[in-house]
Amino acid sequence: MKSYREMDHYELLEISRDAADEEIDRAHALLREAYEPGSLAAYSVFDEPEAAALRAQIDEAYAVLSDAERRRAYDASLKGSMLYDDHDAPSAPEFEGGAGRSTAFNGFEDIDDGDADAPWDGARLRRSRLARGVDLEAIASVTKVNPSYLRFLEEDRFEALPAPVYVRGFVNAYARYLGLEARRIAASYIERFERHYEQQHKPRSRLLDRP
Amino acid sequence: MALDREWTPASGTLRDRRVQVIAVGGGKGGIGKTLLSANLAAAIARLGHRVVAIDTDLEGANLHTALGMKVPSVSLADYVAGRERDLRRLLLDTPVPGLRLIAATHGNLDAAQPQEWSRVELQHQIHDLPADFALVDLGAGTHASVMDYFLAGDVGVLVLTPEPTSVENAYAFLRAAFYRRLRLAVDTDAAREVVNQAMDLKNERGIRTPLDLLRAVQSLSTEEGERFVSAMRLFRPQLVVNGAKTADDIRLGFTVRSVCRKYFGVQADYLGYVNWDDAVTEAVRHRTTVVESHPRSDAAIYVNRIARKLIGLTSRPTHTRPPSNFLERPT
Repeated sequence: MKSYREMDHYELLEISRDAADEEIDRAHALLREAYEPGSLAAYSVFDEPEAAALRAQIDEAYAVLSDAERRRAYDASLKGSMLYDDHDAPSAPEFEGGAGRSTAFNGFEDIDDGDADAPWDGARLRRSRLARGVDLEAIASVTKVNPSYLRFLEEDRFEALPAPVYVRGFVNAYARYLGLEARRIAASYIERFERHYEQQHKPRSRLLDRP
Repeated sequence: MALDREWTPASGTLRDRRVQVIAVGGGKGGIGKTLLSANLAAAIARLGHRVVAIDTDLEGANLHTALGMKVPSVSLADYVAGRERDLRRLLLDTPVPGLRLIAATHGNLDAAQPQEWSRVELQHQIHDLPADFALVDLGAGTHASVMDYFLAGDVGVLVLTPEPTSVENAYAFLRAAFYRRLRLAVDTDAAREVVNQAMDLKNERGIRTPLDLLRAVQSLSTEEGERFVSAMRLFRPQLVVNGAKTADDIRLGFTVRSVCRKYFGVQADYLGYVNWDDAVTEAVRHRTTVVESHPRSDAAIYVNRIARKLIGLTSRPTHTRPPSNFLERPT
């Protein structure tokens, strides 16, 4: 067990040594949030100078690990120091499911397991988004879809959404942002939406045909 | 603290326990511990396991209400007061198939918490109940008896809500549980005395963080330092964020997990979250659990996910539980 002052860059970012680039990005963003001034998680145990020191260390770790060249050099230096670092080595596998091999949102992706074939409705989209700790605004700014439409998607407010061709695009972009199977999910969502849409847009003449 | 030492003989043998005990705590009152306990108990029962929910909050008992039951005729208070020696005779059927309850009732406040000796016996009886899982709903605060329920659990669930008061109390709870666990882990009076002093945040030794404490214990003796470290490794609180409304709130579990690591040196896991859901309010009003009344609601889906994770956790060989000697009967 170490003080954060003695942690190596990987321990500090709470990631494994083989973490992919996007994991590193996510871990860094999350830790910046954890130790930002006034952070709900940290304010009562770390005073601001300490939190600032932590942030600086976290940024330094990120600067090294997010640069392929610097990361390689750093990994090589870690290997060199492993021998005498052996005493603390058992602490690595101990973090099973945690810092050891985790991504920032490890364990929250499989919310609908056991019911994988259930249709994709707005609630399921929302649960998948929240499981990744993602705000609607973040999706909106990347996908360029109006955040109101994204909210209508999640609330299944079909009457407020435009034509199916646009909605399919929205769901696609939304799901792709979350790293989900976009085509399958869009197809599932659209199936329900189209049923609603067709009912709303039935030719009026059919109403008149009734006896 | 002679009792402590009698509880922790050098070689404790692993008892053959049938019941996996899940303790649900959080320090602060009003954060939904009881509702979460009721719902988790119901969810695990609905997944086909025999479950006993135990209300240990003798001062604010209402687990029976959350499960849709009237004020119970027998309760844990009978055990604490010595009127009933056998916990099994306090089991009550609940409306949920497979789920039984050991209720609490508001009793005489002076006798509201069991004495240390009877707490040990109580833990044994809980582990011997005819069930697969026991869900123990803890009272608020950091009283020693609350900590013991938490530490004697195979899994300790720490509930927090996205509010400063709740997060502060969660850390206070964690600190109290952790220091109590460490005090039981060390062997010499000198080391125990250091831990005792550290529990007072304004101690003169300048021990502020658990890491400071580790250094102080290590300076006493290497062996004590090692006992301390292995106790720390076994201590794995399972975080649950309750009443989450936004993605920010959900990320709180991850940021608190990081603080546990970097401040306390404790590896916490983020077990899950439950959203703020009108379905829960609705279920409470009808005195039932949301997993039963609104199984397709987000809240029920989140509770079920936590339930499945808990079942998975307890079937693993290693978990948060302290070494078996914590539960050794005093001789």
